[in-house]
Amino acid sequence: MENDLQLLKEAASAVRARLGGREPAIGLILGSGLGELAEQIGDAAAIDYGDIPRFPVSTVPGHAGRFVAGTLEGKAVIVMQGRFHYYEGYPMRVVAWPVYVMKLLGVRSLIVTNAAGGLNRSYRPGDLMLIADHLNLTGANPLVGPNFEELGIRFPDMSEAYSRRLRGLAHRAAAQLAEEGEETLRLQEGVYCGISGPSYMTPAELTMLAGLGGDAVGMSTVGEVIAARHAGLEVLGISCITDRAVGEELEPLTHEQVMEAAERAKPKFAALVRAILKRMEL
Amino acid sequence: MKTVMEIREAGQFLLNRAPLRPEIGLILGSGLGTLADAIVEAVTVDYADIPHFPVPTVAGHAGKWVIGRLAGRGVAAMKGRFHRYEGYDGATIAFPVRVMKELGITTLLVTNAAGGVNPSFCPGDLMLIRDHLNLTFHNPLIGPNDDSLGARFPDMSEAYSRRLGRIAVRAADALGIALREGVYAAMIGPSYETPAEIRMLRKLGADAVGMSTVPEVIVARHAGLEVLGISCITNMAAGILDQPLSHAEVMETGERVQQTFRKLILGILEELGKEGKADGE
Repeated sequence: MENDLQLLKEAASAVRARLGGREPAIGLILGSGLGELAEQIGDAAAIDYGDIPRFPVSTVPGHAGRFVAGTLEGKAVIVMQGRFHYYEGYPMRVVAWPVYVMKLLGVRSLIVTNAAGGLNRSYRPGDLMLIADHLNLTGANPLVGPNFEELGIRFPDMSEAYSRRLRGLAHRAAAQLAEEGEETLRLQEGVYCGISGPSYMTPAELTMLAGLGGDAVGMSTVGEVIAARHAGLEVLGISCITDRAVGEELEPLTHEQVMEAAERAKPKFAALVRAILKRMEL
Repeated sequence: MKTVMEIREAGQFLLNRAPLRPEIGLILGSGLGTLADAIVEAVTVDYADIPHFPVPTVAGHAGKWVIGRLAGRGVAAMKGRFHRYEGYDGATIAFPVRVMKELGITTLLVTNAAGGVNPSFCPGDLMLIRDHLNLTFHNPLIGPNDDSLGARFPDMSEAYSRRLGRIAVRAADALGIALREGVYAAMIGPSYETPAEIRMLRKLGADAVGMSTVPEVIVARHAGLEVLGISCITNMAAGILDQPLSHAEVMETGERVQQTFRKLILGILEELGKEGKADGE
């Protein structure tokens, strides 16, 4: 644990060595089903996680497991195609590792996406939700353990974890897409509950989460966002609502259903992310 | 797992240096450590010198015992404590409280810096902890239970002694100190809570939020100590005011209320003495 910082620097150096001088300013962590956005990156350089010293390897189908750096909508980006989840057995500090690698590579803003269940009764599968805030109910925090002042302060503020500025920009991007004829995009804004998983929630648990103020529920993102704020990155989070997670009306759910719903939403989700990138300043 | 032998050795090491046999244990939170300066006939022992004793990693938590007399009572004060967010396991966090028990301590007075969740609170308020919510997702007693230290399933129906609470209220009244009362919610940290989490805590019945105390109190109850808890509301929690949180603010408020805090603790210790005499001690 004491040499975590050293290992991070080694991992970042290994990635940088493969970037061919590319200097990514925006990082993207792409959740279930949205990984293909990485295929649209121009002038791309890919680095498999397996080729990065000491880097963990993703174990979930649908999460490819590599960094892709290049240009998207004219912006220098680095995309994590495949992420690490607490439920895979990684400690939360490991889940957050790639965020620090991106920070060390010079990334200043982070766009994080995920597939989530809709706790809010007004949400429909296929809706996209800007994350306004989160509830960390995973039982873990990536910053537990010794603090590395070089990366961030001991007690980071979380009063605006998800940048208001970037949320405003995302709303404007969505409005423009609607004007241009994108009719299926419904952009919500709400509170994301991060739980450990991997079991889906029981109806009683979903009712509880809704009562606690959650609008969507998922098994990722909060650890990465805490680390990103610790590292001083500006964060935008977007959930793809893949299923209704309303306790009183719950039907059986499989990962395949989630992936199918994410698949259907993919074109508009990708369009939104691209429209946001286009508007982002560097 | 810390063994009974290690607890004995650490306890004996302290007793060998202590000028008296303490009856009251004090755990001093962020920015509240200077109370230890008021202890007379004091002997100071660094954690680092004590066999088997852990060492804290946070600025503002010094890491030493001060044993001596405060308001006429034998006390052992911990300046610096151990937090889950530092990466310590339950057994390590439990250790100092078990050492207190080994010293012969029967009463634990635990203090902390906390964020105000109850919107009627103000930074600088002192709050008597009536009860807690353990939202750390941990319990320091997880693992094999040593029955010589306490019961496998300790009762928590009165974790914070009503008797000591009444004494604290009496002391505060006598001194003209406005003492709030409420429920302390413990989160793991070390990142501060989000506004959504603070709204959640309010719904759950919390008045204040922090990153300490709860594991210590669980161990203290396991060990049969009577507990009094006092929070210093050093800042309003996230989302209540439209401003970011900082550890510096926590420390500044702690500094600002040191005097009031010290007066209250001394008043409580004096009241405790009177009560002890009334009981024919």
